[in-house]
Amino acid sequence: MKMSVENQSIIEKLDLLGCIQCGRCTGGCPVTVRTNLNVRRFVYDAYQASLEDLMEELAQYSEIWDCTGCHTCAVRCPKGLKPVEVLYSLRNQIVESGKVEPTVRDALESVFLEGNPWGKPKATRFDWMEGLEVKTAEEGQEVEYLFYVCCSVAYDPKLQVVAQNMVKILEKAGVDYAFLGEEESCCGSEVQALGEEELFMEVQEENVELFSSYPAKKIVTLSPHCLSALKKYEGLEAEVIHYTQLLAELIDEGKLSWEGEFPKKVVYHDPCYLGKQNEVYDEPRQVLKSVPGIELTEFDRSRERSLCCEGGGGKMWVETESQQERLAETRARNAKELEAQVIVCACPFCILTLDDAVKAVGYEEEMEVMEITEILGKVL
Amino acid sequence: MGDVFVVIEHRQGEIRDVNWEMLNLASQVASDFGGEVVSVLLGSGVDDIADQLAGASSKVLYVDDPVLENFNADIYQKNLSALIDEHKPTIVMIGHTAQGVDVAPALAVEKDLPYLTDVIELRGEGGKPVAVRQYYQGKVNAEFSFADADTYILTIREAALEPIEPAQKGSVEKVEAPAKEEAEHRKFVEYVEAEIGDVDITQSEMLIGVGRGVREDKNMPMIEELAQVFEADLCGSRAAVDAGWLPHDRQVGTSGKSVKPKLYFAVGISGAFQHLAGIKGAKTVVAVNKDPNAPIFAEADYGIVDDLFKVVPKLVEELKEE
Repeated sequence: MKMSVENQSIIEKLDLLGCIQCGRCTGGCPVTVRTNLNVRRFVYDAYQASLEDLMEELAQYSEIWDCTGCHTCAVRCPKGLKPVEVLYSLRNQIVESGKVEPTVRDALESVFLEGNPWGKPKATRFDWMEGLEVKTAEEGQEVEYLFYVCCSVAYDPKLQVVAQNMVKILEKAGVDYAFLGEEESCCGSEVQALGEEELFMEVQEENVELFSSYPAKKIVTLSPHCLSALKKYEGLEAEVIHYTQLLAELIDEGKLSWEGEFPKKVVYHDPCYLGKQNEVYDEPRQVLKSVPGIELTEFDRSRERSLCCEGGGGKMWVETESQQERLAETRARNAKELEAQVIVCACPFCILTLDDAVKAVGYEEEMEVMEITEILGKVL
Repeated sequence: MGDVFVVIEHRQGEIRDVNWEMLNLASQVASDFGGEVVSVLLGSGVDDIADQLAGASSKVLYVDDPVLENFNADIYQKNLSALIDEHKPTIVMIGHTAQGVDVAPALAVEKDLPYLTDVIELRGEGGKPVAVRQYYQGKVNAEFSFADADTYILTIREAALEPIEPAQKGSVEKVEAPAKEEAEHRKFVEYVEAEIGDVDITQSEMLIGVGRGVREDKNMPMIEELAQVFEADLCGSRAAVDAGWLPHDRQVGTSGKSVKPKLYFAVGISGAFQHLAGIKGAKTVVAVNKDPNAPIFAEADYGIVDDLFKVVPKLVEELKEE
């Protein structure tokens, strides 16, 4: 086996030297039913070729853009490795060489210029606060919980309710909280997934500095994608949690209870970035179970085995060319089999893809896709 | 001195619209510079183009040589450079097109002449040009004056000005090519025609966007008829494409295409965020949706809250009558 120094460094850097080629990664990879992606093979090839050859050859495989960043491969790896990293690394090399799809380029440019990947102006990031009394952080003044709003929640008119309801819930619970002011900017989760490692480092550096000016005991994210990204930040001192973790704690301590009822059958979809990547499985379910009247059911594929919705890994900006049904559509059909009236979720990207899927399979009249806070808003 | 050169862009025997627009502008300002409108035609065996141009210019300077059969920026530059030396025009107008911007900057640098791109207005003051171009995606117009020079080179924006109505009979002067040698660094290879039937929705001026509200494949002919009377192209949301009503290259959104039509007519699109991000370049958005809370209405300039199955046939009927 030929192994160049550069090549050693990439495999070493990704900590993939321990790979035994067992294939559990590819065997569990959810997108293999739709595409040719074989992550085990990419890890194998990364050992084989010199970096330059690797680049030329592997860059031709469009399936490196099919990965949704769900981390099922990492969850299943018996050696505790992260095979997904090899795909992100290849994407990085392609982005570095400038050969990216215009959709990816536009998203990255938007993060760089406007601090969000949606092409929205920085100046309107806090329009969601309009008409609400929201406590915003003051420099140097410590709060218990500092909230970090995801770009999708901040700008999508359908998702803004997540942040708005969160404010109402926090006020009700009487928690010492603050939202970041105008300086909030993208967490870089999808930037890294799209292969722009350098921009991610820049975003990380700026955000770590920002958080150091606004001290908090805990940083609370509304999106699991931000949770994953912030947890990777080097030099970030505060603990980072997802909002469902905080709410479960408040409910448990008796600080939060509900007035109304939500008498519907709902099925909870585990977001990969929350479950597989951060092992937050129970808290969202605890929160849902606390709602009077709710009937919570489970997918066959739930928790560690949850089927990915294909919304992560930068996939909001890269289409998979496949004739096979989208996984989110499979998810919608599974929910129908369970006679669920609502698919409930705790991730903005899952909401976007599942919402589309419910429409694509024609269930929009009988089934809703809701974020947990949307349900909580109805029982406050 | 004082003449306004209009460098003609043509391809496979056809003249582009920007030429007629430049000729109109040239005819309005030529007297400001005390000269005439001269069409500069570089080509091979394009006598009929020269004749057409004579109807819209005082003079056609026609360089006819086989080396000029196909556009080549290097060869154009050499010939234009020699013609400028010989005729000393005050203004040289070149279309702000892929071809135009391939040759104009190099020409300006070679001759060390003042140069302004993407011009939308022009007048002469004291024999010198004053030109307008835009900033910030058209939000700000900036007026430019120039350093003193014998000749000024300007590229002119397409579709910003009215075309000229040919109404005169100018002369045609056929001249020897000042530079006949083949270009050293580039050569013409072939014309590659876009596949017939292919529509590039990123270039469409009128788009009908189809969403899940259309419900079934069998309702698509109604939408196609609407597209026909609008003379618009069809595109759609991811859900509509996934349902198989439209091919993948018609998908609009963050993972599909970003479009920038003059009119985007959204039919049965509720407005998923990833779709809305793809239409932010649209000048005017009209939406039909029965749900008054559909997010598409936040982006729309005009909204119709009603059943699309009532609205679309009525619209088709009205438009057909017109």
